[in-house]
This record gives sequence, C-alpha cells and structure tokens, in this order.
Amino acid sequence: MDQSELAVLLKDRNKIAMKYLYENYSASLYGVVVRIVVDEKVAEEVLQDAFLKIWEKIANYDAQKGRLFTWMLNLTRNLAIDKLRSKEIKRVQKTDELNNNVYNIERNNLVHQNIDTIGVEKFLDKLREEERLVIDLIYFKGYTQSEVSEEKNIPLGTVKTRLRMALINLRKALGVR
Amino acid sequence: MNIQEYISSGILEAYALGELSSSEELEVVENLKKYPEIKEELHKVELSLENLALETAVSPSPQVKASVLAAIDDGEHEVHGRNLGVWRLAVAASVTIAAVSLVLAYSYYNKWKHTEHELSSLIAQNERLAQDYNQVNKKIDQVESDFDILRDARFRRVSMNGTDNAPKSQALVYWNEITEDVYLSINSLDMLSKQKQYQLWAIVDGKPVDAGVFNSGVKHLLKMKSIKGASAFAVTVEPKGGSVSPTLETMQLMGAV
Repeated sequence: MDQSELAVLLKDRNKIAMKYLYENYSASLYGVVVRIVVDEKVAEEVLQDAFLKIWEKIANYDAQKGRLFTWMLNLTRNLAIDKLRSKEIKRVQKTDELNNNVYNIERNNLVHQNIDTIGVEKFLDKLREEERLVIDLIYFKGYTQSEVSEEKNIPLGTVKTRLRMALINLRKALGVR
Repeated sequence: MNIQEYISSGILEAYALGELSSSEELEVVENLKKYPEIKEELHKVELSLENLALETAVSPSPQVKASVLAAIDDGEHEVHGRNLGVWRLAVAASVTIAAVSLVLAYSYYNKWKHTEHELSSLIAQNERLAQDYNQVNKKIDQVESDFDILRDARFRRVSMNGTDNAPKSQALVYWNEITEDVYLSINSLDMLSKQKQYQLWAIVDGKPVDAGVFNSGVKHLLKMKSIKGASAFAVTVEPKGGSVSPTLETMQLMGAV
C-alpha cells in the first residue's frame, strides 16, 4: 500500500491501516529513536508515544506538504529529542549543577559510542569526513543545523550545504534516482 | 527566482527535517505548488531520508506493537450510561442498531477496500514470482547444457593463460575434434570499451583461423565457430565485429592443445 493511500485510511480512523503502518514503519522509526536516546527501554517508550501521537494527530498531516513518512519521522524525532533533553537535564542537575558543558560532553560521547554499533557505518563511510560529521549529528543524533553550527563552529550555510551534499552522495546507495 | 540556487542552498533538506520557522515553511510550500522541479527535488530528499531510515532500521521488541494496538483500541471504548424511560430506551436501541450497522458497514467497506488492494498487490507479486521462475528455469537449462559439454569425454579441455599483456586473464576452450565443436568458458578477462571485442583464433597448420568474436563478462559457455585440426588457441583484442587476421600485439591469451 503506498503512503498516500495509507494516509487516507488513517484519516478515516482505520485500525487495520494503523496495524499496517506499524508493521511497515516501526523498525525504520525505532532505528532513528534508539540512536538518539540510546537506552532501549526509553526508546521503546518513545516509539509507543510516537505511534499514539501519529494516530491522534493524523488529521494534521497535509499531503501537499510532503510524504507521510517525513511527517512521522519528524514527529518521532521531536519526541526522541525532547526525551533526550529532559533525561540529560535531569542527569546534569544531579551530578553538577554548575557545569554547563556536561550536556555537550554527554552528547559527544554518544557519537562515538554508537556509530559503529548499529549498522550505520556502511553508509557513512561513503562520505567525506565533514559530510559524515554533519549527517551523523543531524540525522542520527537529532541535532538541529544551528546546534551543529554553534557547537562545531561551522557557519550555518556550510552546515546546510554539507548536509545536502551528504544526502546527495548517499542517493545512489539508497536507490534514489 | 533561480531554482537551481534555491535547491542547492539546502533549504529543502532543512524543510524535510522540520527545521524551518513557520514563515519559511509557508514559503517552501508555496514554491512547491509553483515549481515542479522543486517538488521533484523535495521528493528525492524525502526518499533519501526515508530509505536511510529503512536501511538502518532496528526492530523494536514485539511488546511495543501489542501495547500500541491495545492503546488505540482502548481509546475508542468510552461508553457512558444514562437513565432513560422505556420508549426512550427503545428509540435509543434502534438508533444504536442503526449506528452500529452503519459503523459495521463502513468498517467492512474499508476492509473490503484494503483487501482489494492487497489482492492486486498479491497478483503483482505473483507475476513477479512467475517471471523470476522463468528466468531461473532458463538459467538451469543453460547450466544443464553447459554441464553436458563439460562431462563429455570427447571434448578436449584447452587451458589458455594470460600473456604479458594480461597476465591475470584466463579462459578455457572445450574442443571436440570429431564434431569440430568449440566452446569457450571465460574465467577472467578485462572489460573492453564498446568499440572493441575479443576474438578467438585457432592455430591450424601454423596459421591463425577465426573462431568468432565475443564479449567479456559472460558466465556460461559460449559456442564458437567450428574448428578442424587446431594445434593451439589464442585470443586477441580487435575492433568490434572482429578482424580478418589477428592483431598480434594485442594477444591476451594463448594455450596449446
């Protein structure tokens, strides 16, 4: 079933469509979530929240604006990022209220911990170093482009074009023509 | 507006990742309606993001599915009771029955639509399978006929090794002296440009005789021209279609019978 048909059925509150949606897209979305929040228990909570929110908010999805998956991806990413921040802020408050850098250090650790463990490497090693950094932080770690620009001291325009080049260079490997 | 510049600024990637402010987003939506090129490019960006997620997918544990589906079911079972008179109850009952049948009809309609769609995708899948099956069958036929030649004791196996031009190349000739049939099996040969082809030569009475042209990359046995009384076989690189006499300096393979 293609995504536009699926969206129509979901807007009709069709539960079978919801089951189909889960069966076909949960692993894609879960991969995104688990790379951002790392902890599997937390990631599963986020995934569940994401699907319930998709079901609740499907009326807001506008096919004119893009694909259903893109809409779900962003909704899910936002939940994962919110979760990561609330968790990290708690941890920061517990350990050291004065140290503003902990947030950054935590995130930097995650980058190294995770990157080769969950099958991302084979895609990223097709890219140049600077493109790899940008796509890893933005796509797999949930940074915004402006956060990357600030933390890595790269002009925002450059971050944007690097992300674009990275995705273009991945197209062939991803079967997009 | 310069569309190429607009696209290469990376604004569509930012849009797809939901990073634009709502006014910037509105502007992109307007442009999507106006310029098909932008719409097409956005589609590619979205597919890249989607396929990247698919390729790096991780399966969640099965409990998540159960609780998502259960939560969706629960959400729709909010029933509230009210004190009603008998006739009101009767009206309520008939209205309920009507409503329930409406809902059921609707739900069956949806199921039917869904099933119909599934059926057509199954038919398509079935066709694909049939095609695959035919291809595999063809391949097996090929392999079987190749195998018959390989195990036929009347075929002599002549191993041709790479010359200094192509030390890593290797191929085999299967030659039946009685029927004069010649088959070629390529083990390893460099790719050639489209204007060139390989040509097999048999050395008969000290002179090269054309045994046919071929391309590299063929996995099965190639039937070549019939040859009588060969003492050796060799392969050269020739212009597409082959030459009358071999270009000796391009000699790739050579093997004595």
